[in-house]
Amino acid sequence: MIRIGCRGCLSWCLLVAVGLGFFFWPPEATAQEEVASALRRYKDREASTGYYEEYEVRPRRQRPLVGVPGVARGSFPYSPSAAAVRITTRLADSHRGVQFYYNRRCQDCHPQQARDYHTTRGKLTCRQCHGGEPIASIQHYYSPLNPIRRHAYVCAKCHQGASTSFASYVVHEPSPAALETRRSFPVLFYAFWIMVALAGGTFLVFLPHTVLWGLRELLARRRKHGE
Amino acid sequence: MSRIRRFTLAQRLFHLLLMLSFMTQAATGLGRMYIETKWGSLVASFFGGYELSLTIHKWVGLFMLSLLGAHIIYVLATIEWRGFPRRLLGPDSLLPHKDDLKQALGHLGWMLGLAPLPRLDRWTYWEKFDYWAVFWGLFILGGTGLLLFNPVASSRLLPGWGLNVTLWVHRIEAALAMAHIFVIHFFIGHLRRENFPMDLVMFEGSVDRAKLSHERPAWVERLQREGRLEDLQTLPKPFPWRAAYYIFGYAAMIACLFLFVGALAYSRLVTW
Repeated sequence: MIRIGCRGCLSWCLLVAVGLGFFFWPPEATAQEEVASALRRYKDREASTGYYEEYEVRPRRQRPLVGVPGVARGSFPYSPSAAAVRITTRLADSHRGVQFYYNRRCQDCHPQQARDYHTTRGKLTCRQCHGGEPIASIQHYYSPLNPIRRHAYVCAKCHQGASTSFASYVVHEPSPAALETRRSFPVLFYAFWIMVALAGGTFLVFLPHTVLWGLRELLARRRKHGE
Repeated sequence: MSRIRRFTLAQRLFHLLLMLSFMTQAATGLGRMYIETKWGSLVASFFGGYELSLTIHKWVGLFMLSLLGAHIIYVLATIEWRGFPRRLLGPDSLLPHKDDLKQALGHLGWMLGLAPLPRLDRWTYWEKFDYWAVFWGLFILGGTGLLLFNPVASSRLLPGWGLNVTLWVHRIEAALAMAHIFVIHFFIGHLRRENFPMDLVMFEGSVDRAKLSHERPAWVERLQREGRLEDLQTLPKPFPWRAAYYIFGYAAMIACLFLFVGALAYSRLVTW
């Protein structure tokens, strides 16, 4: 009975040890990766901490193909260096993680955005509309440029009585002639090209007409009135 | 030297006011649009600078729209309502007619040396085009201009992004109007050999009879047939008037060419 009892005790001890070991055993590391995908790593760690690409083990060279609604249609290769595709429209600090941020001027990275009439003619600075540091993404809940309060917090500072409709004026207007505008601002694109076609059509008729007429009169033999 | 009256005092006044207000709009609009350039700030400085140019542009724009309203009333008052619309379809009307197309093609044939000069009547096809182009231009420019007059108020009628579109339509239509007036209208009206150095008819109101019967033989014959030619005969204006017309006309033409050449030359220096 003792032997049986001892063996029983031993097997119980082994069971408990294995059971405890289940909890304390280190987790298995797959190819030394900390995260499953670059996008997940970005969302879980980089966006919240502000530290990018600081990993002991570099991710695999092959990037997963992901599509992000509102950023790019379909799938596109996400890579830590492809900063342009990062989702930065809803951050409290839209410039989080930008290297040497405080040594740069807005138009270093946003040259096209510094060419609108509010900047060049109205002499407004970027921060007068976009707010102070940290500059929030315009879709961030607390951004002054969030469409829910843009008209009151930004536009109405100069345009008294500005409504939400008024605030939908596109300050950073894309070039109406550019093919890209057909997707981003189709009404502007088509209105522009219809008007250009109207003007061009008028001159296509009247310029040759006028030139021909002028030449004909210039080359005609001198003639008395009434002939 | 007998002269035939082509335009009444009211018609000449309409042209004069339209001309002055159009030039003001061209100068204030271009000066403001080109304010970043030296040329633009020079043009705007004649109208008190960037801000005042816009104020003048807005009020002169309203004046042009009221001129359009006055002209519509004038037209309704001068239309021959008896036997309506018989006169409107005849040769004394500015409405387009199927003969205009025939005359335009005939004129083109004459330019190419293929046909004799078409026998034009009172209004030629290019004059009718110019007349209706003012309506078309004033409706587009006036309509967009009214929307841009007070953007906060007009954004109640259309979404705010519509003002982006409105401004571009206003610009392109204005560019079309200016280029048409400063190049085609001036050339046809004054600079071609038949009219050089200047056709005074829109200022003086009358034209030399010999010139008229070469230019518009069908009209002269029609007037003779109806016995109305004698009623339209007038004397030439005295010399000081004619001199004033030349000076005023050339001043206007030089000012407009200054605007046209400057706008072309400096267009690459402007932030669009």
